[in-house]
Amino acid sequence: MNKNRLVGAAASAITLTLALSACGNAGGAAAPEETGPGEVRVWLVGTDTPPEARDYLKKTFEEENPGSTLTIEEQAWDGLVDKYTTALSGSDAPDVVEIGNTQAAAFTSAGYFREITADEFETLGGSDLLPGFVEAGDWEGKHYALPYYSGSRVVFYSKQVLGDTAVPTTLDEYVDTAVDLKTDDLSGVYWPGQDWYNALPFIWENGGYIAEQAEDGTWDAGFSSEGGLAGLEQIQTIMTKGNNAPSDAQETDLQVPFCEGKVAFLSAPSWIQWSINAPEKPEDPDGVPGCASTYGKDLEGLALPGKDGGAAQVFAGGSNIAIAQKSARPDLAMSAYEILLSDEYQSILAGIGLFPAKTSLFEKVDQSTSIGKAAAEAAANAKLTPASPKWADVESKTLLQTAFSRIAAGEDVKTIAEKLDADIEEILNS
Amino acid sequence: MSSTLLDAPAPPRQEIRRKRRPPYLPWLLLSATMVLLGVLTGFPLVRLVVMSFQEYERAQLMGLPAEWVGFDNYAAILTDVDGFWTVLARSFVLMVVLVVVTIVLGMLVALLMMRVGKAMRLLVSVGLLLAWAMPSLAATTVWGWLFDTQYGVVNNLLTKITGDRWFGYSWLLDPLSFFVIVTCIVVWGAVPFVAFTLYAGLTQIPEEVIEAAQLDGASAFQRFRLIQLPYVRSIVTVLVVLSMIWDLKLFTQVFVLQDIGGDRELTSTIGVYIYQTGMAQGHYGVASAIGVIFVIVMLAIAYPYVRRTLREEEL
Repeated sequence: MNKNRLVGAAASAITLTLALSACGNAGGAAAPEETGPGEVRVWLVGTDTPPEARDYLKKTFEEENPGSTLTIEEQAWDGLVDKYTTALSGSDAPDVVEIGNTQAAAFTSAGYFREITADEFETLGGSDLLPGFVEAGDWEGKHYALPYYSGSRVVFYSKQVLGDTAVPTTLDEYVDTAVDLKTDDLSGVYWPGQDWYNALPFIWENGGYIAEQAEDGTWDAGFSSEGGLAGLEQIQTIMTKGNNAPSDAQETDLQVPFCEGKVAFLSAPSWIQWSINAPEKPEDPDGVPGCASTYGKDLEGLALPGKDGGAAQVFAGGSNIAIAQKSARPDLAMSAYEILLSDEYQSILAGIGLFPAKTSLFEKVDQSTSIGKAAAEAAANAKLTPASPKWADVESKTLLQTAFSRIAAGEDVKTIAEKLDADIEEILNS
Repeated sequence: MSSTLLDAPAPPRQEIRRKRRPPYLPWLLLSATMVLLGVLTGFPLVRLVVMSFQEYERAQLMGLPAEWVGFDNYAAILTDVDGFWTVLARSFVLMVVLVVVTIVLGMLVALLMMRVGKAMRLLVSVGLLLAWAMPSLAATTVWGWLFDTQYGVVNNLLTKITGDRWFGYSWLLDPLSFFVIVTCIVVWGAVPFVAFTLYAGLTQIPEEVIEAAQLDGASAFQRFRLIQLPYVRSIVTVLVVLSMIWDLKLFTQVFVLQDIGGDRELTSTIGVYIYQTGMAQGHYGVASAIGVIFVIVMLAIAYPYVRRTLREEEL
């Protein structure tokens, strides 16, 4: 009896498996392309894209494609690679997705995005599109993800907090000023420990590097190189002696401590100015309060100073945008994609201080303010993370966040750097 | 399926008995369950085993044919001392601590509930139920806030009590205090079930036995050790085995706390490690192989429990 039951169970399990895998294979074949009205889902990440741009996208799309609807679903930067890996390979994939420029390679190399043909590329902007970001979205000579916007970090400050202190002109002065200004109630530089983007300029300015590829293709990580260590020492000095931010915190809601008046310098993406300059009592019930009447009033920007003056080499933050390979309606997705890269849409992004996907629209970024000027200076000297499809794994393993949290907690820089280099090399060379 | 039922209405009961037909009906009734189990458990399991013998990365997920690699994935894992073995050992140590603390505390609470009056017992029960009903994701988030580096109530209290400056002290960055917090959350969530079950068992012990022991001069601890504990021994065994399985499978609490600010590499337990290898880094083949090894480990742990249950059924 018992044996019979087992055999029966096993038999049905096997039958089912076969039946199901058969279904699976059938589902893999390309479905006939639909036409007519449909639904398109666009995934934008974080709050960087302003509401005006979202409204414009939805309105224009629905005008151009009568009967079709476009839904924007906002995703979080946290755990984005995990989420896209499953979402984009499933049957319910979104149609158009924004992806961090340093994360794009993980997906372009694995066929997650629909190819942008040479003709489409020309129509969408061609050589006008930001070259560095186009490259980030290429794989084996083909285009998969095009630039969405770029935005380098700007150092914000308010004269009300800074007082008579001189604005630093070199990186060393920046470190010293931060340490001098710090009290129990004031951060010279507000720097949550997990914010590794802000750490990269210190590495680069001191002659260090993240990882370089040798001629035989192997990667060599450089946090423990001479320049890298010098940079990490400076980072630790600021983090431990010039900063009250928690060593294990992420760089979210940076306007909160700034608006409390507890921050002298805040290095953050340029669109943060709108969060700081938001009214204390937001009209929208879900809105985030800022401090437009106090510290937002005289908000100034500064490009992070370099080792020898001028603007430092900073991390080229920004996003790419792509059409999902599994999009049910590639035709409608392309229509939304064209709007996202249109001059009108990109001008809205430029209007809030982001650098648009097209170089010809750079002039639309307001550079009359010190913030706009600083953003432009920083962008001109921006650098990317190593161009390896495996770099996204370094990010998703949060190796850098952890390493910088430990540096912020005051642990030995050399030990951390050597461990970090070993871990990065293991991933990039695997 | 339903049409078969309609076409051939079940014959009256007596007829079945006379004819002694093979029992189709039980099988028919079972079939729905078996289909569900097959789809929800069987298929993923088969897929897991298949994938563990393949090189399965992000590209394969998009339809690129997967290459068979034999035992390569297993070899890579079993020789990975810094990765797999460390994580497995960590999970086991954590599991032992969690199980011991949970069972001891659960037993103490159960004994407490035996002693206190009706009103207090109700209060304790409600408290336990609330903790038990709380989803672990929500619970972990709130515990994370308690220990928040900047605004957490724990750092605030410590500053008030000791007079030192605790603001900015990160509880999660140090693996040891990370696991102390994990232990708090898991034990807090697991004690109610253990306490209720043990309480139910303890109340079934005949009053006379305890009374007789009391008359013979047995102390409270002797009564517990020599009478109450042997009576509920089988319950304790079941609770220990179940707790072992639950605590080895630990995922939510560790994953959420890591997100708030822990060192992933030094705090990952086996469940989180599988997720990171598979979902986050896209090495599905390797992650599947770890999963298979983990299933085998779990089966070995569950075996005594299953055997015991089966033996009791036979009696």
